[in-house]
Amino acid sequence: MTSTVSRASILKALLKKELLAYSRDKLYLFLTILSLVFMVGIFWVLPDSVEETISLGVSPPVQSIVDDATDTLRAMGATDEQLAAIDATDLTQTEEGLEFVEFEDEDQMSAVIKGTLELWRTESGEQIFRDPEGDEDKPKDADRIKLDIGIAFPDDFIVDVAAKADDITVNVYSDAGVPEEIQGAMRSFVREAAYQFAGQELPVDMPDENAIVLGQDRAGDQVSLRDKLRPMLAFMVLLIESMAMASLISVEVLQRTATAVLVTPVKLVDFLTAKTIFGTGLALSQGLIVLVLVGAFTPENWAILFVTMLIGSVMFTGEAMIVGAAGKDFLGQLFYSMLFTVPLIIPTFSVLFPGSAAVWVQVIPTYPVIDTLVGVTVYGESWAESWQSLLYATAWLVVLYGAGLFTLKRKVETL
Amino acid sequence: MTGPAIRVQDLEFSYGDLKAVKGVSFDVHPGEILGFLGPNGAGKSTTIKMLTGQLTPKGGSAQVLGIDIAADDPEMQAQIGVCFEEKNLYLNMSAKENLDFFASLYGIKDPDSIEVLRRVGLAERAKDRVSEFSKGMRQRMMISRSFINKPKVLFLDEPTDGLDPVTSAQIRRTIKEEADRGAAVLLTTHDMFEADELSDRIAFINEGKIVALDSAENLKLKYGTRSVKVRLRDGDGVREEHIELDKETSSAQLAELVASPDLMTIHTEEATLENIFIELTGRGLKE
Repeated sequence: MTSTVSRASILKALLKKELLAYSRDKLYLFLTILSLVFMVGIFWVLPDSVEETISLGVSPPVQSIVDDATDTLRAMGATDEQLAAIDATDLTQTEEGLEFVEFEDEDQMSAVIKGTLELWRTESGEQIFRDPEGDEDKPKDADRIKLDIGIAFPDDFIVDVAAKADDITVNVYSDAGVPEEIQGAMRSFVREAAYQFAGQELPVDMPDENAIVLGQDRAGDQVSLRDKLRPMLAFMVLLIESMAMASLISVEVLQRTATAVLVTPVKLVDFLTAKTIFGTGLALSQGLIVLVLVGAFTPENWAILFVTMLIGSVMFTGEAMIVGAAGKDFLGQLFYSMLFTVPLIIPTFSVLFPGSAAVWVQVIPTYPVIDTLVGVTVYGESWAESWQSLLYATAWLVVLYGAGLFTLKRKVETL
Repeated sequence: MTGPAIRVQDLEFSYGDLKAVKGVSFDVHPGEILGFLGPNGAGKSTTIKMLTGQLTPKGGSAQVLGIDIAADDPEMQAQIGVCFEEKNLYLNMSAKENLDFFASLYGIKDPDSIEVLRRVGLAERAKDRVSEFSKGMRQRMMISRSFINKPKVLFLDEPTDGLDPVTSAQIRRTIKEEADRGAAVLLTTHDMFEADELSDRIAFINEGKIVALDSAENLKLKYGTRSVKVRLRDGDGVREEHIELDKETSSAQLAELVASPDLMTIHTEEATLENIFIELTGRGLKE
């Protein structure tokens, strides 16, 4: 026995014990491995590109609508200039991001949207229809066209529009899963088409750019779901590890092993330091592993990512200390875990729905962490763009970690 | 060191308005076992908690191995061993891992944990997780952990509470060995037989105060009465007589009974510690 055991030796012994205790907690060990495999697996399974083109069915083909109307319009007194303008109208070229799929038959189009008929297209543009219930094999060297929405113009659409008829019916077919916004956009498109066929201009002034994009214009280069999820996955791992740490602390408090440790040469500051180092190390190491495995690191961003993850890890260690000290039993710990975890996880949704973060979400401690992770991994932000968020995150770190230290210290002192 | 290993003077503690310890004073010398005997809530555990640094005294002073307990000196912590009433062991770790971990906190490089476990009869189970141990085995683990650092002072809080007689006897034997090694032992218990068997001196503690402090023998002499119980044949039955030995007529009365053909047995009668405790406090040890 020696009475001059160093603080470093004590810390080493405490950390070794934490690692041993963690490795013996089968539930969290399982969750850790599962979350690592699951998070990384989910990342690589998700599509790495965004489908920016909406396929829109049109029946009958636009040119046939125009051709059919020409004779009637001429008989109605339309001039050659007017007819030439209508003939020049090409709806298929007017809308960016829209791919028109033309159908001779309205029922065929609705069947494709409904899914009772398959539409395939070869490289040469040939359309092949196939009954999914039939014996016919899938066409070779052809891609299937998925259609969610389609417009069926009536036979005399152009003529009726030109005659300013009162009751023109255009059927818009849409799959049940198509959002209301898209259906609304299609209705607007039909009105626009009617204006163009009637040889009129839209009563709206559009700037040259068509739309003013605030911030970086990512038209044609949208962020894929995979890329959006990259920071979120690392963040979720931090969250899971904070629960594991809370469990370890909780066990130490409930079984009062902390008291046994504190009657040895271990001081309370050693105990809290060991918890901080282990909790932070646990979360940070696994967060970094996930970021490496999902290819988030670049020579330019590794330092910012490391600092951001470090801040997040300490923050979650503070949360784990509060949860671990507060719960009087497993259910209590679960309750406090939920109480803290649910609010802290809310900012991650701003990743999936950019621009939707309300002011109150931005006040949540984890917001600046996830905001920086997104900025760096998705938009390639540098220190210059990230420092304010990191400063904000550091302020929250001080508050959350300070609260965690205080709560755990009080708990251990009064055991 | 010379002098007492533990010196306590007018130590006080209160939980809010409730005064748990009201100015207790005592010494424990190296190699001595001092039994703290009292019912639940008497202030025994609170006194140990103050002496081991778990609670800060509200009054008085105490030194362990000459170091003021208020100093929170790791040097003192390095030389004490504590066996808690609660079995606060790391359940997911093996018996050996538990001892190795605590040994490392004392800076012991190569702890002989197996030998320590052998002393409490657990060497065979060294690699088993403590969660698989019975209550008695866990208590033996607690005892072994308390002397992993060969402490100069041992604080044992109810070390045999609720255990079977065989395990209790084994633990008592180990405590005796530690005292024989030279450790000063402060033992709290509400078991009068344990206090009687183990303690060199006994402190009766009640409602936060020490009401008597002496060796068991002296306490019995001081507070008990010297008497014998005689059993005699009485026709078809048995008659009992109690003869106090300190009366002038005692010798003659005893001689007469010894000569009687009806004499069956004679037993000395001495006060139990419980009798003395009741006499001093008006309450029993199990209350």
